[in-house]
Amino acid sequence: MTPLSDRFLESLAAAAVHDGLADAVFTRLSTPIGRLLVVQGAEGVVRVGFEEEPEDRLLADVAAGVGPRIVASDRELATTRDALSAYLEGDSDSLALPVDLRLARAPFRREVLETLHREVGRGATISYGALASRSGHPRAARAVGTACARNPVPLVVPCHRVLPSTGGVGSYGGGVARKVALLELEGVLPRRLPSTG
Amino acid sequence: MAAALPPFWSLVEAHGDELLVHARKLAGEQHAEDVLQEAFLRALRAYPRLRHARHLRAWLYRITTTTAFDLHRVRRREVVTDEPPTVPVEDDHDDGGFEALIAPLPEAARTALILRFVEDLDYDAIGASLDCSPVAARQRVSTAVRSLRERLPS
Repeated sequence: MTPLSDRFLESLAAAAVHDGLADAVFTRLSTPIGRLLVVQGAEGVVRVGFEEEPEDRLLADVAAGVGPRIVASDRELATTRDALSAYLEGDSDSLALPVDLRLARAPFRREVLETLHREVGRGATISYGALASRSGHPRAARAVGTACARNPVPLVVPCHRVLPSTGGVGSYGGGVARKVALLELEGVLPRRLPSTG
Repeated sequence: MAAALPPFWSLVEAHGDELLVHARKLAGEQHAEDVLQEAFLRALRAYPRLRHARHLRAWLYRITTTTAFDLHRVRRREVVTDEPPTVPVEDDHDDGGFEALIAPLPEAARTALILRFVEDLDYDAIGASLDCSPVAARQRVSTAVRSLRERLPS
């Protein structure tokens, strides 16, 4: 059986998006921090997954939250792909992508992530406690930690910039090594390896 | 809302190749991809309204079959006739178009197509049902698809 060609698949996805038949579009992307799965809806990025996450389960979660009409297309998400690649390869200083936090189902978590997305830019960091205060819940540092750990859109909502006030980098949904790599990329931590740039 | 439907693209990735083969049998190499794209778009239109997630593969086969016939009619109309266009909507799992399409076939062919593309049985089960071997069952379905194809007026 000849497999469907990429040209056919791209054409199908483009027609689906054009006809308003896609609830979300996803793309797979190779980056310096590993392969990413990026899912985007009409309003913005709804989900970013690291390569350890099983793709079928991730997409099933998105289908349950956003709708089952999910199609794949590199071309429809070209802008998002370019922005993420440029950022992770150090060619761009900011990652300003629209985000759709529908998958952060609890309103509290959504508030925390919105605050983080809006207020903590590249090169800056914030403690769990300070993020709790800034989101209007000064006593909820621990719950802020949970909100960050379950962030459906890491990188785009920069939970890697949230650090414990006691020192160290703390934990990260995508693993501590990735958090360190991102903080190095953003100049918060000194690079361990000489830059080749 | 309905039972958890799988992300649509997982169906494209799982069944797209065999559906393209089916579209080729019905519409020929030249039109197979057009048929399949249109079939997937029709399926997407109906998808959120499905009430359950069972037998989706057979459902896609039926849509591909009816789409092959509809597009063939459209092409013929453009060339020779002025029949009014039909705009079928696959409303649900029970798309009447497929049953109507196979109604004029001999009973043996109809039975084979229903077991495969409505009941969604595999060839072992079709063989058991028709009292023949799985290989013979596959052959009967394939013959039935061919007689369906012959109904496409050239």
